[in-house]
Amino acid sequence: MNETISLWGQRLYRQFSLMLANQPKLSYYLQPLLRWNNAELHPDYYSARIVDSGWETEQILSVWLEPEPSWTGFTPGQHLLVTLLHQGRYISRSFSISSSSGLFAQQKQIRISCRIQPQGQFTKALAADIAKLTHLSISAATGDFVLEPQTDGAPQQSIVMVAAGSGITPLWSMLNSLRCWTSPVVLFYCVKNAAQAAFLTELRLLAAKQPLFELQLIETASTGRLNLVQQLKENTKVSLTNALYYLCGPAAMSRQYKDDLIQQGVPSDAVHAERFGLELAATQGPVKQALLIEQGKVTTIEAAAGVPLLQAAEQQGLSPRFGCRIGVCYQCVCQKKSGQVLNLRTGQISGDGPEQIQLCISAAHSDLQIEL
Amino acid sequence: MKLTEQQLSELAAELDQVKANVMNQLGDKEARYIRRMLLTQRLSAISGRILMVLGFVTPWLWVFGVALLALAKILDNMEIGHNVLHGQYDWMNDPVLHSKRFEWDIACDAGSWKRTHNFEHHTYTNIIGKDRDFGYGLLRLSNDFRWRLRNLWQFVTYLLLSTLFQWGVSYHELAGERVFFGKKKADRVNSVSHSDLKKAFFGKGARQLFKDYVFFPLIAGPMWLWVLAGNVLANLIRNLWTSTVIFCGHFTADVHTFTQQQCEGESRGHWYYRQILGSSNFTGPRWFHILTGHLSCQIEHHLYPDMPALHYLTVAPQVQAIAKKYGIAYNSGSFLRQYATVVGRIIRYSFPGGKATPA
Ligand code: FES
Repeated sequence: MNETISLWGQRLYRQFSLMLANQPKLSYYLQPLLRWNNAELHPDYYSARIVDSGWETEQILSVWLEPEPSWTGFTPGQHLLVTLLHQGRYISRSFSISSSSGLFAQQKQIRISCRIQPQGQFTKALAADIAKLTHLSISAATGDFVLEPQTDGAPQQSIVMVAAGSGITPLWSMLNSLRCWTSPVVLFYCVKNAAQAAFLTELRLLAAKQPLFELQLIETASTGRLNLVQQLKENTKVSLTNALYYLCGPAAMSRQYKDDLIQQGVPSDAVHAERFGLELAATQGPVKQALLIEQGKVTTIEAAAGVPLLQAAEQQGLSPRFGCRIGVCYQCVCQKKSGQVLNLRTGQISGDGPEQIQLCISAAHSDLQIEL
Repeated sequence: MKLTEQQLSELAAELDQVKANVMNQLGDKEARYIRRMLLTQRLSAISGRILMVLGFVTPWLWVFGVALLALAKILDNMEIGHNVLHGQYDWMNDPVLHSKRFEWDIACDAGSWKRTHNFEHHTYTNIIGKDRDFGYGLLRLSNDFRWRLRNLWQFVTYLLLSTLFQWGVSYHELAGERVFFGKKKADRVNSVSHSDLKKAFFGKGARQLFKDYVFFPLIAGPMWLWVLAGNVLANLIRNLWTSTVIFCGHFTADVHTFTQQQCEGESRGHWYYRQILGSSNFTGPRWFHILTGHLSCQIEHHLYPDMPALHYLTVAPQVQAIAKKYGIAYNSGSFLRQYATVVGRIIRYSFPGGKATPA
């Protein structure tokens, strides 16, 4: 009942706004007035004031943000979409929050920590602009990569965390937010060498203070890749099959460890993995033709196997709408009229008929017709 | 046809280069410019509507209010709407300024506009029988068309069309698709169903009518008649202005028309060639160009419909030089002179005969 009322309310508001301002919401109309001084803020997101910024390591930049009061808060481990106006253009990327829930509760601040990649469009722009920026736009926090609530009375399960590189961010947020420690926690922190490990001092401090916490720093440059299963078998504190797992790192790594653990008899719902980056399904094949139709105007593009259609379209000078570019935000959705696409995240091949696809994670599997 | 295919492809390469020089530089400057336009538009719309109500203090405030609202509508339709809908600012990735989501303060539904204007008119510019913008199916503007009795009073038709221009534009696609009257032409492939066309036409039209002629007069209380009259006037000013600008861009004396055979399988160079000959520019001060949405540089706009319009003035001398090099007529003149030739053209072809347009 209430739902129908609010649904009707929403429809009425939309119609009213369309009538009055030709915009789906009035805030779009008022945006130039309200933010005349802060044009860098994206109308769809919350504004966050930049409080401070600093380098954790040579490559990892931390930015402290104070979101506007209406921002809805977060659970440690969640991520958000950060949007930046760079050279007149909105670009976005998703980041895990690296600060604790305590910091947000007390000072209304959050921190994101980003590895600045020389090839990364967003992170490079962020590092270049950070000194002159005053605000960033942020989305609400989302994601289910959070600590499972431990139910009272149930036997306590120990926790195993694996972080690779900047994959430490959501895990550090979880650890730093833990108030009552009831079971052992082991963190395998894989970095090239200790100099590249963000939050290392804080982690060591925690390990010294908290007997239930064990930090295992894996310097892959000297000791090679972490062999998770073997390490766990040698570890006396945790039982391999009766632990909760939290993996955060490049998509390929997380998948590998998850497979290994499942093989050892760990139930698959005990393994939580946050993958960052777009794991491109390996593909080869002949170049396909995609017809992109924009209000009747047809542009033909060459779509190579495994190349996201968004990227292919941009290379031809088109500018479809986009956001995260990794299949999270659904801003790039458009209608495929015919042909098959390969979903680069799942590796699944679509049907041949009309359907909605995300341009940023779809590649041509056959010749295509797409309505932009 | 004077240019060889070889020359045409060189022409295309030179014109492409001019475009690339601008498009590679897009950034803060263009973003700031269009945002400032948006701010100006919002401020004049809101203050215009408020001042109209204050007309009881002195009618001058009402006059001022009408002028501001007309300005807001002109900016919204021309420098902002027309250009945003061409995708000139899509690269900014801003939902408020993206062609996919933009809707404007005019009776015509943005989707319908993008199909008839961006696609039909810009692709088939001045090809008789393909570009229905050439005369809008109402006016005989060259001797490519058979003379009919109704052409005798077409100057009156023209005045009516200008007065109701927003409705003409809005009905344009439905007329072409023969939604209400006439027999469907076999060669038209329509991507949108008749019922969707009707829905968009009536939906958008009703919203615009309700806003200007019901909602705002109602909330003005005792001043309702002033507001109603002011809104009618503001819409009228916008209609006359947009219609005049557009007529000056395509229907001046020296504009060329083309036949379908001439353009079958045409090269990119020929397309460029046709765009230069099918359009005309007019001169004026900077603010004047802004009010026309830079359609005063119709030639540049037709060559580069997706280049942010503020650059048309800067590339115009380069385009003119290239046109001169290839001996292509570059049609430019003062606003009044161009408009006089438009009127002349409408009147001349009211009568049978007339000289064949060169192509
Ligand atoms: S850009 Fe975010 S889902 Fe494609």
